[in-house]
Amino acid sequence: MLEFIRRNRIVLTSGSLLLISLLLVSASVRSRRRSDPVATLLLETMRPLQVLVSDSVGALASAWSRYVTLVGVRAENETLRRRVAELEQSAGRLVELEETNQRLKELLGFRSTLEGQTQTAQVSGRDPSSLFQSLTIDKGEHEGVRKGFAVLSPFGVVGHVVATSAHAARVLLITDHNSGVDAIVQRSRARGIVAGALADGCVMKYLQRGEDVQVGDRVATSGLDGIFPRGMPIGEVADVSRNHRGLLQVAEIKPSAPLERIEEVLVVAPTAQVLEAGDASEPHAPAP
Amino acid sequence: MRTFLLYLLATIAALLVQSTVWHWLPLGGAIPDLLLILCVYLGLHQHTVGGALGAFFLGYAQDSFSGSAIGLNAFAMSLVFTVVYLTSRRLWVDNAVSKVVLVFLASVIKTLVVVALIAIFLSTDGLWTTMSRHTMIEAVVAAALSPPIFALLARTRQVVAEEQEAA
Repeated sequence: MLEFIRRNRIVLTSGSLLLISLLLVSASVRSRRRSDPVATLLLETMRPLQVLVSDSVGALASAWSRYVTLVGVRAENETLRRRVAELEQSAGRLVELEETNQRLKELLGFRSTLEGQTQTAQVSGRDPSSLFQSLTIDKGEHEGVRKGFAVLSPFGVVGHVVATSAHAARVLLITDHNSGVDAIVQRSRARGIVAGALADGCVMKYLQRGEDVQVGDRVATSGLDGIFPRGMPIGEVADVSRNHRGLLQVAEIKPSAPLERIEEVLVVAPTAQVLEAGDASEPHAPAP
Repeated sequence: MRTFLLYLLATIAALLVQSTVWHWLPLGGAIPDLLLILCVYLGLHQHTVGGALGAFFLGYAQDSFSGSAIGLNAFAMSLVFTVVYLTSRRLWVDNAVSKVVLVFLASVIKTLVVVALIAIFLSTDGLWTTMSRHTMIEAVVAAALSPPIFALLARTRQVVAEEQEAA
């Protein structure tokens, strides 16, 4: 027996780890509100490195794009090219600064329209897998960010915080298939749940078949899920499908916020009003 | 200890590239799995209990940075390690071509396993479209990247071993 275990110890270890993984998945799915201390530690440890690499890659990409625009000028005259390069570089920096300034101004303006505690955060990393949609931001519990806080941009809803460490947090995007936001169609007030569909954006589910939903309709948060304030834009209806049998219809939603390239976000703590609304409509609450 | 540190550094580097650099490249949303290449390397060259634990940790680390439930990638990585380990015991997979094919297949297997687990435990909205769009690109890029990464890991391991012998 001992000999068998010794000879097959690697396979037996792997088998045990497979079982442990399944138990972890099961526990994680059942109690997604509980935080994992090891994952939190990893998130916090990697944060400075992620910020460093993210900034360096951003700067490199920006420099590369400036270089590409300068190729034609270089061919004309070497001296002129150098001068243009210098000017382009400064102009690029200025444009970058201006764009950042503009984005921050919009964020500040948007922030003033919101009630409750808000926090501006920078995106420091993205999901390491294409099957999930999440972001890492550079603000955590130390800055007052908690699990379940809404994450918004001036263009619309981004997602909500699902894990925090001292100085970082993980944000589940509205396009992730684990996400669900209680929403209404602004024109007809039809209510449903906007769930993530990964690369396809989002879908609005549980819409009554008789409800009036048309392509181009704008969809906003209902404020009833205990996370997002009421009236925050989520996106626009891109398609409506009534092919399914039964009482419901499904609408494809194109998110308003540029989730692929977003750089700064606003983390918003739920106000008492939002929390009360969430408690009142518990059965319609989104997936954690 | 030095070998452990080598794998740890490789894991951190792979995780950083996957969570930052890949997103800037025009890969159409595909994220080639560098951690999987490390896992295949462990399955081929680290035939110890530590190798199995390492593969589990690779998946766990990926889960920690992902929007997924903890354990999905840990399961897939452990499975990939087991398959590669058993394959390398029965078949000759020591040339570059067979390793590239192994990484390609491992990438496809890992995606299928994760998707199957998501379908069992979570929601499947948009999963099939994303999978069909990215699986092949991710597997091809991971397979293409595997020879230089394997060579780098092998060379570093050799240097570490030589230093240990000298000490």
